[in-house]
Amino acid sequence: MSDNKKVRMTYYPGCSSQGSARHLDESLRAVLPEMGVEIDDIADWNCCGASVGHIGGGQLPNLSLTGRNLAKARERGTQDVITGCAACYLNTHGGNEKIKADVKKKAQVNEALAAGDLKYDGDLKVRHVCEVLVNDVGVDKIKDRVKNPLTGLKVAGYVGCQTVRPFAQTQAGGEYDSYDDPNFLDDFTEACGATAVPFQNKTSCCGGSVAVMSPDRTLHLIKNILEEAKEAGADVISTPCPLCQTNVEMYQDQINAKYGTDYKIPVVFYSQLMAVAFGMDGDKDAALQRNTNASDKLDKLAKRGG
Amino acid sequence: MTAPLPNPGKKYDLDFARWVYDNVNGGDKMALCMQCGVCSGSCPIGTNMDHGPRKLFMMIRAGMQEAVMTSNTPANCTSCYRCVVRCPRSVPVTYILQDLLAKQAELGYRAKDSNENIAFAKSFWWSARAFGRTDERLVTAKYYWSFGPAEFWKRSMENLKIALGFIKKGRMHIGMPHSVKDKKGLKAILDKAREIESRG
Repeated sequence: MSDNKKVRMTYYPGCSSQGSARHLDESLRAVLPEMGVEIDDIADWNCCGASVGHIGGGQLPNLSLTGRNLAKARERGTQDVITGCAACYLNTHGGNEKIKADVKKKAQVNEALAAGDLKYDGDLKVRHVCEVLVNDVGVDKIKDRVKNPLTGLKVAGYVGCQTVRPFAQTQAGGEYDSYDDPNFLDDFTEACGATAVPFQNKTSCCGGSVAVMSPDRTLHLIKNILEEAKEAGADVISTPCPLCQTNVEMYQDQINAKYGTDYKIPVVFYSQLMAVAFGMDGDKDAALQRNTNASDKLDKLAKRGG
Repeated sequence: MTAPLPNPGKKYDLDFARWVYDNVNGGDKMALCMQCGVCSGSCPIGTNMDHGPRKLFMMIRAGMQEAVMTSNTPANCTSCYRCVVRCPRSVPVTYILQDLLAKQAELGYRAKDSNENIAFAKSFWWSARAFGRTDERLVTAKYYWSFGPAEFWKRSMENLKIALGFIKKGRMHIGMPHSVKDKKGLKAILDKAREIESRG
């Protein structure tokens, strides 16, 4: 994308944008236009179904959630649909590919959509924000926007699972990075002027929805992530995934109680780091006030007011 | 000590395997499994499972219906998709486990741990269908309540500090649930989809 070229995309915020991951949504809305990506929300968007919708509702009702979102998105035209949420991406991209590939499923989804006066032909592309930043914007262009480099901030890049698996190496997924050892998040960190520390657990699972329903089954997974980040001397953990951010941040007290540790590591979104590095407002744009474990170092780097 | 030789008179019952191939999402690819074990070795909480995915797939082929349908393996899948991207035969392991859990729930089977997953999934779907959105507060509260008042209280107290922290930071709102505007249209679509699915 040339310096001043702008592109419009249809944005799917997802349910966490109104709850636990408001700081991802707020910081994305701040930084995306800075990088030439203008967004319009899907009108009256609904839940994606996440990892459990099919159990409560059935496979076809779950797929119809995606069908409705894409039918609504299509009303805006054929511009690409983007989302910053890993689960929304997984379901919406995966569902879209299924509708495109499976004639019977497409017919069934459309029969269901007709009950709400909607239809969807399968002619949209559903993309992850990180894939758009890698493939369309480019890391050099991110670097060009940095006015307030995060010099000295050590960042453990925690990608998690569904941002890269199972689509990051597929053609439809934009072939933007690898499943096991992706580099894009560290590239974003370095573009912002911060230091990416080596982090083996970058694609280790936090427990996902199992961590939400029964923390006891998965606290050890989160502990591994915190342990390595601490040993690496990270000031913050950076992640693209709403559920990873919530799980790794909110369970630190319970982990400390169970394992006798003393973790209090801030977990932020890459987009919050970008907003600070772009010299934007630390609260209004970077939404740093929404993190329950604040990073003093990042807070001091952030501009306020202005 | 040498293990006893298999009984050559005993025939494997393939009916259950065929049922899985035909009825479980991704099951049609399960026949490609060559029992290499990359899935089980890649699993983040395989140690929580009574059988790894590799073994569970062999049990399906061996017709061990009761053991498979009461296994806690599907309930402990975290949907990390590591097995899916690593499988040398492109078996969609995660999808198969996810739908096996749905089939356990639908057919009334319960395993250790799966009662939690199923209760959570039901609370989740209730919110998705009623509001078109996941209300994280109400899903969590309804999920805790599904275990009765004592367990509701216990879990609420254990996680109270997290909830209060989220409220303070504006990540959990007070008031009416967020909702789609066209609730009626959404419900009509979901109910129609359920009707289509049930007619097969």
